[in-house]
Amino acid sequence: MIDIALDKPAPTFIAVAEVWVPREGRLVLSSGDYGDRTAFAAASGSESFARGEGLPGKAWAEARPVVLKDFAGSYLRRAASALADGLTSALAIPVFNGTVLKAVLVVFCAGDADHMGAIEVWAEHEGALRLNDGYYGAAKDFEWVSQHAHFAKGTGLPGGVWASNTPMLMRDLGKGYSFIRAKSAGEAGLTTGLGLPVPVPGGATYVVTLLSAKGTPIARRFEIWDARPTRVGPGGQAILIDGICAREGRLWNDETEQRVAVWQGPIGRVLGSGEPLVLGRSAVLPAGYDQMVALPIHQGGVLSHIVAWYC
Amino acid sequence: MQKLVIIGAGMASGRALEYLLEADPAAYKITLFNAEPRGNYNRIMLSPVLSGEKSYEEIVTHDADWYAARGVDCRFGEPVVRIDRTNKVVYSTSGGVPYDKLLLATGSAPFIIPVSGKDLPGVCTYRDLDDTEKMIAAAKPGAKAVVIGGGLLGLEAAAGMQLRGMHVTVIHLMGHLMDRQLDPAASYLLQKALEARGIKVHCKGATKAILGTDKVEAVALEDGTIYGADLVCMAVGIRPEVRLANDAHLDVGRGITVSDQMVTSDPDILAVGECVEHNKQLFGLVAPLYDQAKIVAATLLAKPAAFRPVQTATKLKVTGCDLFSAGDFADGPGREDIVFRNPGRGIYKRLVIEGDHLIGAVLYGDTADGAWFFGLIKDATNITEMRDTLIFGPSFQGGASVDPMAAVAALPPSAEICGCNGVCKGKIVDAVLAGANSLDLVRGQTKASSSCGTCTGLVEQVMALTLGGSFVVNTNPPMCKCTDHTHEDVRLLIKTMVLKSIPAVMQELGWKTVGGCASCRPALNYYLISDWPLEYQDDRQSRFVNERNHANIQKDGTYSVVPRMWGGVTTPTELRAIADAADKYNVPMVKVTGGQRIDLLGVKKQDLPAMWADLNAAGMVSGHAYSKGLRTVKTCVGTEFCRFGTQDSTGLGIRLEKLLWGSWSPAKVKLGVSGCPRNCAEATCKDVGVVCVDSGYEISVAGAAGMDVRETEFLCKVATEAEVMEVIAAFIQSYRENARYLHRIYKWVAKVGLDWCKAQVVDDLANRRALYDRFMVSQSIYQVDPWAELARPDQRGQWQPMADLSLEAAE
Repeated sequence: MIDIALDKPAPTFIAVAEVWVPREGRLVLSSGDYGDRTAFAAASGSESFARGEGLPGKAWAEARPVVLKDFAGSYLRRAASALADGLTSALAIPVFNGTVLKAVLVVFCAGDADHMGAIEVWAEHEGALRLNDGYYGAAKDFEWVSQHAHFAKGTGLPGGVWASNTPMLMRDLGKGYSFIRAKSAGEAGLTTGLGLPVPVPGGATYVVTLLSAKGTPIARRFEIWDARPTRVGPGGQAILIDGICAREGRLWNDETEQRVAVWQGPIGRVLGSGEPLVLGRSAVLPAGYDQMVALPIHQGGVLSHIVAWYC
Repeated sequence: MQKLVIIGAGMASGRALEYLLEADPAAYKITLFNAEPRGNYNRIMLSPVLSGEKSYEEIVTHDADWYAARGVDCRFGEPVVRIDRTNKVVYSTSGGVPYDKLLLATGSAPFIIPVSGKDLPGVCTYRDLDDTEKMIAAAKPGAKAVVIGGGLLGLEAAAGMQLRGMHVTVIHLMGHLMDRQLDPAASYLLQKALEARGIKVHCKGATKAILGTDKVEAVALEDGTIYGADLVCMAVGIRPEVRLANDAHLDVGRGITVSDQMVTSDPDILAVGECVEHNKQLFGLVAPLYDQAKIVAATLLAKPAAFRPVQTATKLKVTGCDLFSAGDFADGPGREDIVFRNPGRGIYKRLVIEGDHLIGAVLYGDTADGAWFFGLIKDATNITEMRDTLIFGPSFQGGASVDPMAAVAALPPSAEICGCNGVCKGKIVDAVLAGANSLDLVRGQTKASSSCGTCTGLVEQVMALTLGGSFVVNTNPPMCKCTDHTHEDVRLLIKTMVLKSIPAVMQELGWKTVGGCASCRPALNYYLISDWPLEYQDDRQSRFVNERNHANIQKDGTYSVVPRMWGGVTTPTELRAIADAADKYNVPMVKVTGGQRIDLLGVKKQDLPAMWADLNAAGMVSGHAYSKGLRTVKTCVGTEFCRFGTQDSTGLGIRLEKLLWGSWSPAKVKLGVSGCPRNCAEATCKDVGVVCVDSGYEISVAGAAGMDVRETEFLCKVATEAEVMEVIAAFIQSYRENARYLHRIYKWVAKVGLDWCKAQVVDDLANRRALYDRFMVSQSIYQVDPWAELARPDQRGQWQPMADLSLEAAE
């Protein structure tokens, strides 16, 4: 079966996810799932951030994905409760439609001493994508190799996302690639990679990659939905173009399209609102999953894709 | 229970098995042979496995458990070597298996180009999982891959290997990628997308040899190009695998011949998939194979069914490249095209209509309506009622018109709009936003459009885009009915947007027709020759008949032939050769022209190559009497013989003609060089005239002596012949780069102003030199004698008449 399939679910790399949306000039919590981390949940519910404030406000102000690896003494306003609940790193992804901020998605990771995995932000510099920042848990050697890697347009997961303007899900990261990084990924046990473009005002190129290890997956189910009107037609629909699941195996089907319409289910809600969505344990989630994160990508003035992962 | 033996565990036989077992699981005891050591997997998803976007496990259709649960005896990795039809036994490498019914599903074999080096290690085809794994294994740091074949499979292989970090070159024999599925416009967009991700594409590339000693090292092309390679993937097509069928003496054409029931010439043997030939048709796409599988299952269960091929559609599995192609989109009588282009979004849609039916569709960039169009094609739906809005798809809500300003809107702020003053789009936009709401204000603040004025139309479009409805663009006539852009806009946008092919221009500038018309194609061909002499290849089909045939057609259908006489000077040998040619080819009239040379009139088309060869043999070349280019340099005898001559006007004229001949220009160009102000060479009514005086050379331009008669205007005076050569070449290059097609020099100078011309080639010495250098670069390509090339024996066929109808009429 596929690499991320596990008989017995292991703790996932991502522990907490939350969506902050702009309301009257500040970012307020729209949805979030904190699991049993009640202290952090309580601290978050009462928060709001102005542009430039805290981690969500920083991603908004700087219009780029931001990785925060050391909470103590940082600009993370909820650092004390985050640390108390065992959270050790975070990634904030701003969701822009053109120049308009739709939301900021923030994910927190936990239990990192033994966790292999990587969350990376790649930025274009001098015609190639280079590592802007990243969090690697215990994959220290891989971190070093990544810091010295670069990807041309069309090559590797980051370069492939950049060239196609499309989220991509890649398998077998450890073999058959012309990159030193691939060998190191294999040694770190990293097998599955999700890459997504992060469009921002001003035209800078950012690609976020989530690299999952077999034993300590980032998530156990990934989905990529294509919502471009030039692909699915007008009227707000999305087609599942790729996906893998630890329980169900492959989710894609090259003969029969799986479509959702606007406001139909969680993906339809994202289609309708244009904002990310985080759901906790719920009847609408696939069986066996306690958390869903769905992230929309806006390109060329339309919602082009939705990436969803499930823990 | 009857015994069914199946040879081949591919997708077609796998689907036949599914239908058969679903309908009657107890009908047959089944033995399944496969040469590959595995069962049925989704072969068309190998491309995403190659790219790393899928794993092999995900594309397995039938695993061991599936076969076991259905009692199928699997003989994988066990090739069948013989079929004994008499005793109804199939023999594999392990022995014989009897059958009551036999299903051949041997698939196809990739075509291998028979060139030296094809068997070297590192050369592979792209057919199965083993090939895919070979390519994946070859992905080492710095590895180079060459894919031979720019069809569907080749491009998917290229994109997959590129994603894995290899440096990939695609070599394609034809003029554009995926030529069987796409037209040149859609193919242009595809090539652009592939090149943007680092894949090099070489079209019109014929493989000559694969080089290497112990393993592959390079690929050599017929044109001399050599590409280094650690891996060569041949993806040039497939042919049905028919060896077993041939050995068993079944009827075989190009594939195994089958009836509508998928039965071969032996009633107990059926065939399915890529190995079959049905009504002289072969099959490579999966949809008809699945239809065949349904018929096979029915036939095996003695149920009535008949295979009827239907239209198929094509999609390319390269993430980020959205294309769709279905039906027939070749040009043909009675066919009509509907075209929609959105340059800014990289969208091209073309529908082909015949009568009241849609018969073909090519979509790039917006494929949302592909399935709907495909349905209309398959069902032969009458589209009369929706013809006008068909291109906008089923969700048409009032339509959208083509935006003529889309190309300008798509330009980045850094795009240069005014070449004279180096003004970019962003600067104009800034000025408009700061309050410059008229052309004069923009000119004043940015200098854009304030010199030659050629860019005025573009500046106005940028203003209109910035100001919205509050600015009205002056409407100059468009180039032709195919576009809303003027000649000037097109010329500038070709440079600004770096457009290097006719499909590129038509797509990026939103052409409204598929391939342009007799008005715009020659103009575009010239603009591209002029702007990109090294990259663009002259398109002979885009030329007027005289330039296509390198001779002037006369009113009776014959041609005139004019050899070049440098500066109007000839020799007895040349004159004898001309006289001999006139006799040999029964030339009815030999005439001295106003340009000081000899015209042979009334030559039959089929005699042209031979006459050219004879004149070539005497040392003469084409006089280009038919071309938009240099015609003649008329001279007087100058100091050599004339008592009044001040300089060697004859010598200068010859040297000028030898410098300038062969260059293409917007319209014809004639020169005159007079040795003194008496002006016997009539230099002051030519496009460019030189009048020699004691102190040097007076150069004047923009004369005319045709429908309009004009005296030249003084450009400059120089002291040396070298300066004359440089000034004139630079001036003509400026004309070549800036003028509108078919505008003679006098019309162009009237438009841009003589002062502007002086600024280009007289005042600015560095610019003059740069223009001269660019002219010489162009001449390095185009200063060739077309007669020599076209007189070659292998080229002569095209000059022969299609049929000799005169004889028939006489009889």
